[in-house]
Amino acid sequence: MDVEKYRTLFLEEATEHLAEIGQALLVLEKDPRAGEAIDTVFRMMHSMKGMGASLGYDAVSVLAHRLEDRLGAWKKGGGIDGPDGVTLLFRGLDSLEKMVAVVRETGEAPPADLALLAELGDAEPEKKARRLP
Amino acid sequence: MSIRVLVADDARFMRQLIREIIEPEGFEVVGEAADGRAAVEEFQKLQPDLVTMDIVMPKRSGIDALKEILALDVTAKVAMVSALGQESLVMEALQAGAADYIVKPFKPEAVIATLRKIAEKAA
Repeated sequence: MDVEKYRTLFLEEATEHLAEIGQALLVLEKDPRAGEAIDTVFRMMHSMKGMGASLGYDAVSVLAHRLEDRLGAWKKGGGIDGPDGVTLLFRGLDSLEKMVAVVRETGEAPPADLALLAELGDAEPEKKARRLP
Repeated sequence: MSIRVLVADDARFMRQLIREIIEPEGFEVVGEAADGRAAVEEFQKLQPDLVTMDIVMPKRSGIDALKEILALDVTAKVAMVSALGQESLVMEALQAGAADYIVKPFKPEAVIATLRKIAEKAA
């Protein structure tokens, strides 16, 4: 893999995704049950997870994965869990933006914010035990 | 003769990566789609031998697009592209008729082996 080429692609797409997440979070701030905005943030986190993992940016991938799982759980529940939930998502966005900025400057992802990861927790821990055929 | 592939994924990054993994190995990417609706449209237009279909996509999910494609052509070969934490969705796709699945982050040899296996079964 031409890492430099894919890093550039990652930075382009991550920047677009983070902007889109920001817009969707503004919608969710007003209406935590806005399904389309939840779907958008979920998809963007899914995409960040995949790109991060492909380039070995584990901190990006792990944080995006936790946020994706949390969003998946909220989706099933019909909406974001109140203002605290939206605040948590804004903190996730902020953390991802900082990580992407470090990747842009240094080519490497910084360590994850462990406190944020702990707060996000395992939204669906039963997935870990599941096996595919 | 090369195996004609349609790559459906909403991330340019992933579409490019799949293309670079498979094209040197006898596969020809004949089209790309950035959402589930486009995947169905491109399938109808291009009639590829094989489709790689991301599960999470806008407009129509990968699973909904898979079902539509199979409704159009019951012999269509679709490999789902999944990621960590999507086990239940992969199960749903396999039950709906997906030929197999590949997992992100990609291990190139595993991607090639899975797609070859699908193509050989179809031959």
